[in-house]
This record gives sequence, C-alpha cells and structure tokens, in this order.
Amino acid sequence: MSTLLTYISVNNGKIKRSSLEVLSKCSQEAEKHGWVSAALVIDEKASDYPGQLTKYGVSKIYLVEGPQFKNHLNAPLLKALSTVMDKVKPKVMAFASTEGSKDILGALAANRDAPALPDMSQFEVTGDGVKGKRPVMAAKIMSNVEAQGETVLISVRSGSYELIESPTEPEVETIDVAVSDDEIRATLKEIITSSGNRIDLSEAEVVVAAGRGVRDEEGRKLISELASLLNAGIGASRALTESGVYDPSLQIGQTGKVVSPQLYIAVGISGAIQHVAGITNSKVIVAINKDPDAPIFDISDYGIVGDLYKVLPPFIEELRKIKN
Amino acid sequence: MKFYVCIKQVPDVTAPLQIKDGQLLQDSDRMILNAYDASAVEEALVLTEAHGGEVEVVLIGSEKSKETIRKALAMGAHTATHIQTDDTGLDSAVYARILASFFADKEYDYIACGKQAQDTDSGLTGGMLAEYLGIPYATNAVGLTYDNGLLTVKRQGDIGQELIELPSPGLVTCSNDMNEPRIPSLKGIMQSKRKEVTTLSTDDLGVDANALEVKTRILGFEEKPGREPGKKFEGEPEDIARKVATLLDEESGVL
Ligand SMILES: Cc1cc2nc3c(=O)[nH]c(=O)nc-3n(C[C@H](O)[C@H](O)[C@H](O)COP(=O)(O)OP(=O)(O)OC[C@H]3O[C@@H](n4cnc5c(N)ncnc54)[C@H](O)[C@@H]3O)c2cc1C
Ligand SMILES: Nc1ncnc2c1ncn2[C@@H]1O[C@H](COP(=O)(O)O)[C@@H](O)[C@H]1O
Repeated sequence: MSTLLTYISVNNGKIKRSSLEVLSKCSQEAEKHGWVSAALVIDEKASDYPGQLTKYGVSKIYLVEGPQFKNHLNAPLLKALSTVMDKVKPKVMAFASTEGSKDILGALAANRDAPALPDMSQFEVTGDGVKGKRPVMAAKIMSNVEAQGETVLISVRSGSYELIESPTEPEVETIDVAVSDDEIRATLKEIITSSGNRIDLSEAEVVVAAGRGVRDEEGRKLISELASLLNAGIGASRALTESGVYDPSLQIGQTGKVVSPQLYIAVGISGAIQHVAGITNSKVIVAINKDPDAPIFDISDYGIVGDLYKVLPPFIEELRKIKN
Repeated sequence: MKFYVCIKQVPDVTAPLQIKDGQLLQDSDRMILNAYDASAVEEALVLTEAHGGEVEVVLIGSEKSKETIRKALAMGAHTATHIQTDDTGLDSAVYARILASFFADKEYDYIACGKQAQDTDSGLTGGMLAEYLGIPYATNAVGLTYDNGLLTVKRQGDIGQELIELPSPGLVTCSNDMNEPRIPSLKGIMQSKRKEVTTLSTDDLGVDANALEVKTRILGFEEKPGREPGKKFEGEPEDIARKVATLLDEESGVL
C-alpha cells in the first residue's frame, strides 16, 4: 500500500503546529485514496513524541533517534531522511515549510532524484503525484503546479490547513541511522538564540509587528506593552531588522517568516508586497499608520489612520479594559 | 580564494502584472538581478577584497540576461560565465543539473547562491547543486566570516541563528539580510565592459537531454483570493483606537 509520510518538525522539545497541520491534511488525503498516513520524527529524543501524534489520523509512526539530531544540522538529517525513504518508499514526503526543512529540501530532492514542490499553500495527492498551488511573485499571485514521480517532495506554508482530530492507535517503529563523523562535514559551532523566551512567531495566535514608524525606545515600549497584554509574538518589518533594532529572526515577510495568527497588528508598517507576502494567512489584520494611503490599509480588516504614538496608548488602555 | 556566485535574472516583482487565460503577462523589460544573489555577490566581493582572490559569476539564461551579468561585473566581480538557454519553463532541478555539469571540472573554494529566487521563492537550487557536487553546504546565511581557509556561516534557523563551520570546497546560500549590495560606480560600469564573459551552451557542458527534463510543471497562474479592504477609521486618536478595540472584541471575536 502507498504511504504518505509527514516529517514532524520539533524545536526546543515542542512539535511545530505547522507540521501537525500538514499531518492532518495528509491523513485526509490518505483516507481519500486508501493509503497509509505515516509520521516521521527525527530527534535526539524522538520517542517522546508519538503520544502527541495519535490524534491526527496516522496509522504508522517512524522514529529516528540519536544525539546527532539534537540540533539542526543538514548532513545527519539528510542521511536519516534518505535511510527512512529507502525503507518506507513514500509516494509523497511532506514537510511544514520551516527554516529547517528549507535547508534540506533541495538536497533531498537531488539525492532521491525526486521532484520537489516547495512552500505550497494548497495541495492534493493525485494517483501519480501531487498538484496544488503555491504563491509566487512575492505572493502576489498563485501558480498552479504539479509534479509526478515515484516520490514527490512537498513543503507546506504554515496556516494553510486546520488541525483535524481523528484518533488512531498507530504502530511505532524505530529505524536505526548511523552517521559517521566524516559524513557530518559541516559542523555546528554555536547556536545564538534570541534573548528571552519569546513566543515562536510562526505559531503565535496574535502577532504585533513594528515597522519604521516605530522610531524610538518609547515606540518599542508601546509595542512590548501591547504584545504582552495580548500574549502576542513580536515581529518586525525589514526596516527594523535591517537596522538592528529588532532581532533578524523576528522579520516577517518574503525574506523573513510567514505567520498565520488569528490577529495581526501592523504598527507603522507601510505594507510593501514583500512584507505582505508573510501575513496574508492572518485571520484579522489591524493596521495603524499615519498615512491614509499606505498600502497596508488595502489588506487590513480594521485600519486606524493616525500617529501610533497617539493611538497606541488609548488602544492599549481599551484592550486592557476588555481583557479584564 | 576562488569564489563562484550563481546569479539569476528575475522579473521585477514590483512591476505591474496581469494574468490572462492562466498566463502571466508582464513587461519583459523589467528584469533584474535576483536580490538574494546581489547579496551573495556583495559578500563574495567583501571577502575576496579582505583575503585576496577572485569572484566569478555564473548565470544560466537567455541572451537578454547578459545585462544582469554586466550588473554583477560592474559591482566588481572579476569574470563571468553565461550558460545560454532559451530559458522557458526550466525548474530549479534543471538549473542545478546544468550548474553541476559546469562545476564538475572547476576548482574553487566556495560557491555562493541566493537563498531563493525572488520571483518563484523556490529556494531549491543551492541544496541540489551541493548534493550533485557532493560538497557540504549551509543555507540562509545572514553573515560570513573567513579565517584560515575556513568559512564560518551565520545562518538564520528556526529558533535563532546558528554558526556553522563550512570546510572548502563548500556551498552557501545567502539571505539579503547579510548586507546592502553596493550600487555599481561609473568606474565599475566602464570597467565591466572590458571584463571577460565566457559563453557556453548546455551542449558545450555535455549536459544530456535527460538532465534537462522538467519534472515540476506550472499549469498556469491565477489571482490570489484577495483580502478585501475593511473598515478604515480617521479622527481623534482616542475615539478611533477605542472603536477598533471594541470591534475586535465584539465583531471579530479575536481577543
Ligand atoms: C527581495 C526582498 C525581500 C524583502 N523581504 C522583506 C521581508 O521579509 N519583510 C519585510 O518587512 N520587508 C521585506 N523587504 C523590504 C520591503 O520592500 C520594505 O522595504 C519594508 O517592508 C519596509 O518596512 P516598513 O514598512 O517598516 O518601512 P516603510 O516602508 O518606510 O514604512 C513606514 C510606515 O510607517 C508609517 N509611519 C511613520 N511614522 C508613523 C507614526 N508616527 N505613526 C504611524 N505610522 C507611521 C509611514 O506612513 C509608513 O507607511 C524585502 C525587499 C526585497 C527587495
Ligand atoms: N538560471 C540560473 N542561473 C544561475 N544561478 C541560478 C539560476 N537559477 C537559480 N540559481 C541560483 O539558485 C538560487 C536559488 O534559486 P531557486 O532554487 O530558483 O529559488 C538563486 O538565488 C541563484 O543563486
């Protein structure tokens, strides 16, 4: 029987929601075709995770465990993926689109001689491959794409699918993968994590994003205040990550991250297409901008035309009242 | 140090575009050097200026994409190779295979690519090329340092940034967060006209027809289901801030 295999991304001991979105969708597709939906965890402590996967319609879970998978490094991960794929021979191998999967998708495709469709926002499995849609031209338009092959690799943008619960009692199988030192080739020297335990932007339910309009310490304080009130992740436009005001890992957009929160609040952001490319999966967008013609208003559900320094204090005050 | 930078000519995504019968219509004159590749060129120049060496750019594309090669040469790249194709409907895998044939007999310390092409956002070519060449690689670089023959790559990962030691020969893909690419000077532009550009065909490289087979197909383009502009509020900051806060609570229920 054919298998649809979903790679489960784990960061900091937590499964990424976006990979559960992909798993939910793959389980649905598997059911439609009478195929097997399987999940794969490659991690230092892979055996910690099967319990969290049984809700999403999987009938098989593969684990690869070992100290070499503690941190992301492409060579060991590729070795593990390719070993598993040799064994499982999935028709479709699906990833959530994360920095980790972006790092290996091309090399894995070359290694498997398999076509790859990256960053899909919609997909369906056909008898002999995959077809679907992916945003192109800085996410201004959609491209309809398809690929056929013994195995097709895909990655899926976060927020493209809902989590669908369908409990199962999957079989769990551990696959041994040995990675020798000279197979590792590049070495990880250090991980520089951003300060504080910030909320993972790509998973956040609420995002408060700052742009060039936030020009000083006072503005950043207002942003932090609003974010902590709403338990939101803080993001930024390129204008503020480029100048070092905010950490580069907080950039949202074409170069930065794609977010898919329930609520996105853009403060002092003009709405350049490369920024908007990362936010259109948000449910509700609020923009605060002093320029009534700022393009961000074209895609906002609620637009507040005004100086953010004058608007944010009463906005925060009112939200605090509602929250209490 | 010998640095190769793979550069691509891409349509300017900020130019107006139209979709007609599933086809993309755009002013074909508005083509630019992929922004991520411009950052790769910049970084290779900075490193070779500091540590000695040469930068060669390689581009696969149509006759028209010569102008993009000139741009990179005007920035300061020393030499260039133009692999000419008619350029229609090729995907990252095909570009990577052609590049792999080109690099098969070359000696180099590092190859730099962009982390993705700005028009398709595929981000596949770099990893594919490294795998075909059997060399180590790192993607999404936001900073490079070179010391004692070893490149250290600062890459943007999921949680934070990772420092990777990349032995030579190796490949790195670059983010535009790495630097601000220089604008070619008049002198640079004049000098670029005298720089050597080698033109090759895929036949010259011995690329077989099989390797040129495109496995991912674009069936057509369509408008993105757009977001409609919603309500816009102007007036006294206090009033409109309160109004929107209330609507978020009562109308959209996202609080
Ligand atoms: C290949 C490529 C990739 C890119 N990737 C990204 C990306 O991932 N993310 C990203 O963000 N950008 C990206 N960019 C850059 C993008 O094109 C814009 O330059 C950037 O988004 C602008 O940031 P901004 O909106 O903060 O600044 P600006 O465009 O300068 O806008 C500032 C806004 O703040 C408003 N403002 C000023 N003062 C106030 C005030 N007191 N109160 C209220 N409003 C105020 C102004 O009216 C203006 O609209 C990319 C560009 C390229 C070429
Ligand atoms: N036609 C091409 N010629 C030279 N380099 C290319 C070409 N296409 C892609 N590349 C390189 O591969 C990177 C990623 O491209 P892509 O996989 O299409 O997103 C680009 O930034 C370039 O560095």
